[in-house]
Amino acid sequence: MTTEQPQSSSATTTTVLDMDERTSIRRSLADNVPTSGSGRLRENFRYMRGRGAVEISLIYLAMIVAFVAMYFRDSKGFPFLAPSNTSGVLSQSIPVLAVLAIGAGILMIAGEFDLSVGASLGLSAIIFIKVANSHSWPVAFVVAVLCAMGIALLNGVIVIVTGIPSFIATLGMSLFWVGASMWINGKNPARLDKLQNKTFINVVAGDHGRFRSQLIWMVGIGVIMWFVLHRHKWGNHIYAVGGNQAAATAVSIRPRLVKLATFAAFGALTGVAAVLVVGRTGNMQPGTTGDYTLFAIAAAVVGGCSLTGGRGTVFGMIVGAAFIRTVEDALILGKADDFYPRLFVGLTIVVAAVVNKFMEGRAK
Amino acid sequence: MSASKATQSAGATPLLQMQGVTKRYGLTTVLDDVSISINRGEVIGLLGDNGAGKSTLVKIMSGVVPMTSGRYLWAGDELGKVTRPETERRGLETIFQDSALVPTMSITRNIFAGREVTNRFGFMKLKEMDSITTRILDTVVSIEGIRSAKQLVSSLSGGQAQAVAIARAVHFKRSLLILDEPTSALAVRATDALLNYLVALKAEGISSVLVTHNLHHAFQVCDRHIVLNHGRTILDVNREDTTVAELTAAVVGGADGVARYRKQLGVA
Repeated sequence: MTTEQPQSSSATTTTVLDMDERTSIRRSLADNVPTSGSGRLRENFRYMRGRGAVEISLIYLAMIVAFVAMYFRDSKGFPFLAPSNTSGVLSQSIPVLAVLAIGAGILMIAGEFDLSVGASLGLSAIIFIKVANSHSWPVAFVVAVLCAMGIALLNGVIVIVTGIPSFIATLGMSLFWVGASMWINGKNPARLDKLQNKTFINVVAGDHGRFRSQLIWMVGIGVIMWFVLHRHKWGNHIYAVGGNQAAATAVSIRPRLVKLATFAAFGALTGVAAVLVVGRTGNMQPGTTGDYTLFAIAAAVVGGCSLTGGRGTVFGMIVGAAFIRTVEDALILGKADDFYPRLFVGLTIVVAAVVNKFMEGRAK
Repeated sequence: MSASKATQSAGATPLLQMQGVTKRYGLTTVLDDVSISINRGEVIGLLGDNGAGKSTLVKIMSGVVPMTSGRYLWAGDELGKVTRPETERRGLETIFQDSALVPTMSITRNIFAGREVTNRFGFMKLKEMDSITTRILDTVVSIEGIRSAKQLVSSLSGGQAQAVAIARAVHFKRSLLILDEPTSALAVRATDALLNYLVALKAEGISSVLVTHNLHHAFQVCDRHIVLNHGRTILDVNREDTTVAELTAAVVGGADGVARYRKQLGVA
């Protein structure tokens, strides 16, 4: 039947395709590859811009320069570089937040987030203290990390299996775990037996003059997570799932599996942060760690992570955490009232999120 | 309707055969007993109005969505369960509309997403990946205006992104490429370039399925046209045996439209 149709119309619409269309002179990509060291540096810088980390690092650097200048003008009135500040405050407060921010950050890159960070940190710290007092601190370390991983994995399973937004799932679980930590411990703070756990305090919070051991932990975890996120194929899958889940599925990446693994890694980092907190304070009162949740997410956002997923760097997350803690510290050193840090951090988060949004479009 | 039978007997075993595929979502039947076969090196136009079932068929073909009933044969082997990893392993690549690539990742990382070049421990060899990307962008597809393999995909135009996705499929020696509405967001020149790539793929023995609304685009490059209407195949004809006018009648009017069109021709 189809053969009855006139052939003329199909003959006219069938055009001969000109495959040798490459008539215009164009530079090939291979010509653009830089050959000199400085060229490579410039290229790397160009493709780093607009991804959050470079911009915040420059602002942070400028801020540090200003604080150092202020210190040299009046070292008594603003003891920014004094060991009591660098070792006693900064090198202890930044690492905890940075480790939490890396966890929250990789989860945000995968397109999820977890509001139960603070609750999970509190419960893991309490469990750490209890096990360290009754057994030994290495055992307690493992148990605390497993506890935080379990909490995070449970959140992951709830979010992935039911498909409800992680916001509401983890908000609910957050309250649940605060309740659980009060139930386990009672309302009084759990105290670490400091005499029995001297080695532990040295390992986690040993004083090295100008800084404490937490800083080494932060650098170590930062380097490991940098390799995992930016150089390992698993990191590539996290970015793919958060950036465009459909495209990731089309190349056989399994989004649910990647997200669950990311929840687990996030949990492990929360557990480590809990141990670092205990190393500094030696005690933990249930229900007092809620602030960590928002600060961790804020640090990740300030460091260039996008709440919609797919964007962020480990370096940025660390700088974001350092930024928030340094500002807080400077305000306290400058004898500002204690509501100023909150005012300032609050504003910083909003400004950083706005700046990030504009930057996203300009990234090359 | 001897057309599809003729093409089947022309080659050896078809690359992909789907027989009696039915898909139901609850009480709604989206695909009703659809059978198609695709030969090696063939460009198929999958046509139909909105809601005809094109996208569902593409999703079933790529293994993203399971079918309710039907058979799926790849090079003569029947696949028990059609999953995305399975179709990927066999060499099927789908470039979904607007979602072929991850915008927040570089071109290199996109091309190698899920198939990274790694060492024994799973760490990526980024330098090697970058230089492969540079080479395939220079040789497989010619794309104007891309500076570097490290560029983010979000900084590319729609046409450039499609070309990158096609380059990826060619590089990984895929045997069947499905393009879901690839030309809908493209300018005239980019569309032309894209259609040229499909013909070039054919020369490499790669089959492709072009899902589109634009009958003229399909007619330009496809060897065979399959028209879906309300979840049924109403036309499966070789290019030589049909016209744009007949395809239009089929897409717009369904089976009745084709009958009317042929009757008119007979009368005229």
